[in-house]
Amino acid sequence: MTPPAAAQQKKPGVAQYKAELRKAIRRNATDPEIDFLNITAMLDMMTIILVFLLKNMASTSASIPQSKDLTLPASILQSEPHQEGVAIIVTKSQILVGDNPNPVVVLPSRESLAQSGLDAIYKKSGINDLHIVPLAESLLHVREMDKRIRIAKGLDPSSSEAIVIVDETTPYRLLIEVLYTLGASSFGKYHLMVMSTKKQPHER
Amino acid sequence: MATSSLSAAQRSKIRRLAVPKEQSPEDAGGELNIIPFLDIIVNILIFVLATVAITFTATIETTPPSAGGKGPRIVSESKSLNLTLFITNDGISIKAAGGSIAPGCDGIGPGITIPAKGRDADGQPVLDYVAVTKCAKKLKDSSPDFKDETQIRMTASNNISYRKLIDTIDAVRATEDGQELFQDVLFAVPR
Repeated sequence: MTPPAAAQQKKPGVAQYKAELRKAIRRNATDPEIDFLNITAMLDMMTIILVFLLKNMASTSASIPQSKDLTLPASILQSEPHQEGVAIIVTKSQILVGDNPNPVVVLPSRESLAQSGLDAIYKKSGINDLHIVPLAESLLHVREMDKRIRIAKGLDPSSSEAIVIVDETTPYRLLIEVLYTLGASSFGKYHLMVMSTKKQPHER
Repeated sequence: MATSSLSAAQRSKIRRLAVPKEQSPEDAGGELNIIPFLDIIVNILIFVLATVAITFTATIETTPPSAGGKGPRIVSESKSLNLTLFITNDGISIKAAGGSIAPGCDGIGPGITIPAKGRDADGQPVLDYVAVTKCAKKLKDSSPDFKDETQIRMTASNNISYRKLIDTIDAVRATEDGQELFQDVLFAVPR
């Protein structure tokens, strides 16, 4: 057999081989089977919810840390909590102002507070005075800042508002001393924070 | 048959090459695989939801306390009740414009209007809030002039806890059937 004749015979063999290969691939081809659950869309949604929850909780009063040192009293009040104002926190052991983690006053025992409020060393003119000097000094700085914020917001700068967060065991005397000092420091409106419940009078 | 003209090696190669390749999920779209990251996020989400105790809060609006009967009380033009509640260790004493309310919330007279039912473990008086609500309602309903009055002044003995104060505020705020009584609270300094 001459070489051109051999090539003529081989060419159809290669073409046939390629055709057969294509046919076999087509025959064996199957649609890709989904053998795993695609939860990516759900996880995307979860991520959005997580970001929303974290952002929301950080900015609301729900972020108030409740502990043995600070337990809010329960109330039937269901209104929306007021968010604007300087936070004054009175726990079982200390008084805090705003975001400052350092206590303004470290409180003595309950018994002592229930008798005549804070010690005379914290007062302007003796133990019977209601004005807590360290608290007033701390409020002075906070008031200045709040005044500037109120001017920038277009609100009345003549007085500020305070969110008063008080532990449920706090004696009335200390509460009044704190409120009195706030009043003397140009805080004209208070929002006493309580925990909303659906309790009935006989359950108290 | 056309296949018969192919050699055994060619047929074997066709069989081998025709087997469909298995695709892994990662190869499907050629995208960044963020599934492990999302798994972590979901775990954090579940952890956050399980650990954060959501507390619903509310605020009671008030103004600076007044001392010695002076204060920011809004005096209405009509006859007003001018209620003052004094929480003591013996109970709750209620004072209206006409004088102190007698025990049992019946007319004017001296004594503790609603006596305490005892003492709790903390030494605080056990107060009868149901009786407080009834008395506040009775006083408010005693005249049509008091219908629009919402203000009440409140004071307490030095040792009375903030919880007792809030419970008393709740008791005079509204009746169990939702009738509004005294919503605006003013604090006074005990003399």
